[in-house]
Amino acid sequence: MFATALSSLLAHKLRMLAVATAVLLGVAFMAGTLVLTDTVGRTFDNLFGDVYKNTDVVVRAKAAFDGPTAMGAQRGRVDAAALAAVRAVPGVREAQGNVLGYARLIAKDGHALGHPSNGAPALGGDWTVSTRLNPYTLAAGSPPTAADDVVIDRKSARDGDLQVGSVTTVLVQGPPMKVRVSGIATFGSTDSPGGATVVLFRSDVAQRVIAAPGTFDQIAVAADRDVSSSQLASRVRAVIPSTAEAVTGAAVTKETQDAMAVAFSFFTTFMLVFALIALLVGAFMIFNTFSITVAQRTRENGLLRALGATRRQVLAAVLLEALIIGVLASVAGLFVGLGVAVGLKGLLGLIGFDIPASGVVFTLKTVLVSVLVGVAVTCAAALSPARKAGRVPPIAAMQAGNTGVAVSSSRRRVVVGTILTAGGVATLMTGLFSSVGKPVTVVGVGALLVLFGVSVLGPTVARPLSRIIGAPLARLRGVTGDLARENAMRNPRRTAATSAALMIGVALVGFITIFVASAKASLNDTIDRAFTGDIVVNTGAGMSGGVDPAFARGLTTLPEIAAASGVRQSLALVAGDAAIVTAADPKQAFQILDIKPLSGSPDQLGVDAIAVHKDTAARLHVRVGDVLPVVFKDTGPKSMRIAMIYGEIQPARTYFMSMAAYDANFSNRYDTMVFVKKAATADAAAALQAVKQAAAAYPGVDVLDRAGFKTDQSKPFNQMLTLVYALLGLAILIALLGIANTLALSVFERTHEIGLLRAVGMTRAQLRASLRWESAIIALQGTALGLVIGIFFGWALVRASSSLGITTFALPVPSLGVIVVLAALAGMVAAIGPARRAARLNVLKAIVST
Amino acid sequence: MTTLLHPPITATQAAARTVDATKVYGRGQTEVRALDGVTIEFAQGQFTAIMGPSGCGKSTLLHCLAGLDDLTSGHAFIGDADLSALNDNELTLLRRERIGFVFQSYNLIPTLTALENIRLPLRLAGETGDTDWISTVIDTLGLTERTAHHPAEMSGGQQQRVAVARALATRPRIIFADEPTGNLDSKAGAEVLAFMRRAVDDMKQTIVMVTHDPNAASYADRIVFLADGRIVDEMEHPTAVRVLERMKRFGE
Ligand SMILES: Nc1ncnc2c1ncn2[C@@H]1O[C@H](COP(=O)(O)OP(=O)(O)OP(=O)(O)O)[C@@H](O)[C@H]1O
Ligand SMILES: [Mg+2]
Repeated sequence: MFATALSSLLAHKLRMLAVATAVLLGVAFMAGTLVLTDTVGRTFDNLFGDVYKNTDVVVRAKAAFDGPTAMGAQRGRVDAAALAAVRAVPGVREAQGNVLGYARLIAKDGHALGHPSNGAPALGGDWTVSTRLNPYTLAAGSPPTAADDVVIDRKSARDGDLQVGSVTTVLVQGPPMKVRVSGIATFGSTDSPGGATVVLFRSDVAQRVIAAPGTFDQIAVAADRDVSSSQLASRVRAVIPSTAEAVTGAAVTKETQDAMAVAFSFFTTFMLVFALIALLVGAFMIFNTFSITVAQRTRENGLLRALGATRRQVLAAVLLEALIIGVLASVAGLFVGLGVAVGLKGLLGLIGFDIPASGVVFTLKTVLVSVLVGVAVTCAAALSPARKAGRVPPIAAMQAGNTGVAVSSSRRRVVVGTILTAGGVATLMTGLFSSVGKPVTVVGVGALLVLFGVSVLGPTVARPLSRIIGAPLARLRGVTGDLARENAMRNPRRTAATSAALMIGVALVGFITIFVASAKASLNDTIDRAFTGDIVVNTGAGMSGGVDPAFARGLTTLPEIAAASGVRQSLALVAGDAAIVTAADPKQAFQILDIKPLSGSPDQLGVDAIAVHKDTAARLHVRVGDVLPVVFKDTGPKSMRIAMIYGEIQPARTYFMSMAAYDANFSNRYDTMVFVKKAATADAAAALQAVKQAAAAYPGVDVLDRAGFKTDQSKPFNQMLTLVYALLGLAILIALLGIANTLALSVFERTHEIGLLRAVGMTRAQLRASLRWESAIIALQGTALGLVIGIFFGWALVRASSSLGITTFALPVPSLGVIVVLAALAGMVAAIGPARRAARLNVLKAIVST
Repeated sequence: MTTLLHPPITATQAAARTVDATKVYGRGQTEVRALDGVTIEFAQGQFTAIMGPSGCGKSTLLHCLAGLDDLTSGHAFIGDADLSALNDNELTLLRRERIGFVFQSYNLIPTLTALENIRLPLRLAGETGDTDWISTVIDTLGLTERTAHHPAEMSGGQQQRVAVARALATRPRIIFADEPTGNLDSKAGAEVLAFMRRAVDDMKQTIVMVTHDPNAASYADRIVFLADGRIVDEMEHPTAVRVLERMKRFGE
């Protein structure tokens, strides 16, 4: 059997090469992701293990509450007085207080470095005097000695063209600060921790401009040689306030490593999903190729049976063929994956996540998972064709090879397909609209079921669908179009299976296009509804920082400006759930923002009051006047009275409080954004100019008019769209490879017919055109089904995302139109190879072959 | 339709002819001279049968005349057009417009109906053709009931008649048929042959047919006998009996 499998493989080299390529691409992508994950994991483990190796004990505030997974435990600061107490503990060799917060470094040319709102953070902190406890190492210059001295990381120095002695600006708490670069440092073996920008001040300066005077984020302790870190930790515990904790350095290192792993696991999961999509699409192609070759080998298999081969032997021969391809392609994919890992690393670098180069980590797990998945997908996809081959009766050896016209759509197929599709829709809806555990998994399974269900139904709809899609073609292109249509219709199962691969790709592309368009439309609608002002100042700092509140206050004094309000956002634990709390000055803000108060009044938003969005109020069953328990990381548990319930989810999100309440409970003093309304009499351009002038002191801050604000806010969506398109490109490429493969096999089957057509006067150009149109019909069929599914997925997710402020369902017809046109063109491109081969066939030889 | 490719013809001119046509397959030891200096004319409006033992080069002659294959040396003409001077595209157009072809079997495109198959060359040319003429052809061939059928739904004889109808649809200068009745029983074969005869008599069609069957050959105006790639004999106004005698004489 092995010999049969091998000879058949060799006989169909080209076909099998295409199959192998599909497997290879999927496996390479998966292996690349795994290799990168392991590499990043190991790199950061080593890095943090190294830089904290001399820190034996860490003193810090106890966690107030756990934030969302990506943000970790939320904690306040410890009183600086604890430092003296810690230093007095016997066994403490050295102890240093550290602060860590937001600082935005301005490059030599005036642009703000880094992308803290969606990339690596912009960090500010203190330069730890003790070299033993300092994770940074000076690469040039000297530690900060003067109040305006800073040490910066080497990456920022490079990116910002800053050298020792350079004078530049740093945005910190309070007014922007003129600083002199006294030194440039590395973080362990890397230029910067994970690509962050880092500005390190003298400790007392750092406390003032980064944290709050008299507080530390942590106290790092090095132990004497004769005490263990756990011993020391328990000794330290006795002298620190009850709000603080003392943990071993090893535990903190582990925490940091785990947090990095968690943060990166999002990326890993994200990429693996796309790898699996590629493999799924590949599976369709494998299934299809094997189905066709098995059908073409009916006589051969009949002969084998006639000569005494058992069903199982014939089945095994086909499976063995799949196994050989699967193993070879997976192993090759594994090695190509190493290249993919390097490419992905570069991609991450582009979005600001720098991974220190330290080789690649190639684990046994990666090898096993990649090869097993690759082989399993190949064999599973070949199983059904293999069984079909086994069922070939010996008599088939004596019968003429059938060119396979028409496969009746069985009732069972319709039933199974309908059940799968309906079940998928139900599962999807359950995942989206009711509260179940692991909603993402449920939704994923639902989506998969829908895709499978529709694929099963495919052969039933392929014939009518080809007829409809091909109708204009037949009218416009004459016989070539007619023949293309007939050929696309003649074997609905093959057409369906071929187009199903593309269907999956298009469904996902369509879905993401619709979802992003809806998100952008919702955003624009919200801005139109809720933002009654004229100008927005965006600091681009995300939740971590921003500009001095004095900036917004200053704007209100300008004659061109009627109102200006800074907006801040931070995490708090409200009614038991970690949530983002938005704060603004009610007097100013409600002239500029209309968050649609439903009950209560903004006037009542005092120091201990909170406003709640209507959906959350309904979920919590609370009304104006009720009291909510809130835990702040800086001030601990509080009771906040509900002063207002509002109807607009953006920009205030679920909870809103006055700036007075915010200042009373949070120690940071940054406005993330400033909303501005011009004076009624003022000229729009003049007002914009006035704000720009005021913002000139804060480099890196964007001053936007309404239109600019909308564009700015949709930027992250566009980035995401580009990224997802690029990743789905792989699946689509495999689908097109599948179309080309099917077409090549069909051409092979139709050799006689092609000869006949050429004999009665079909030109080469006509023949090529006909195949191109056939390919376009198949591609359009997959696209049509894919779009229907994509629109459904998009609609469902939009409907389920109202709590995120996505309330408008938008159908981006031009974009979808472009997808259709591109799919048709891609289909035609896929046909180029097979069409060329068909046109080159020798007419006479073709006619003779039957 | 008077172009460089298809100059007008005079009544005396041959529909097709070859001059010293030679076709050699293979080289050295395996060399086969399928055609060995064949010079022959096929007059306008005549029904010619080509006979000869298996492997004597009948199909090769037909293929080379129909522009499906090229000669090793010598010339083949359809009207005045020298096939050796034409490129693939010109040959294709020539086949489409000036030549009809009927093969032994599998003549039809399975995805097209009988009518679509008949109109295929016309549609490839982007023409509707002479609808009255096509109706006449279909009528005469007794295919009126079958026009909407696919080849798989027709008998072998019907399929061959559709193939003949397709060959006639463009009113080509000449029709080549390679054992068109070879796969049919005698009754079905007779029907096809009778029709080809009528096409020549009533429609002034020119037909060249390869056959092994003396009965089939007797429908022709003239028989050309081929052996080892050469013309060895000719017979005008044949009858089945005379053909049989001739064949016996040559020990076929
Ligand atoms: N493609 C080819 N390559 C090599 N030799 C060929 C090829 N085609 C035909 N021949 C040889 O050329 C000779 C003539 O073949 P041809 O098919 O013309 O014979 P035929 O008279 O039509 O025979 P039949 O009555 O069996 O159809 C034969 O000897 C054949 O073996
Ligand atoms: Mg022959």
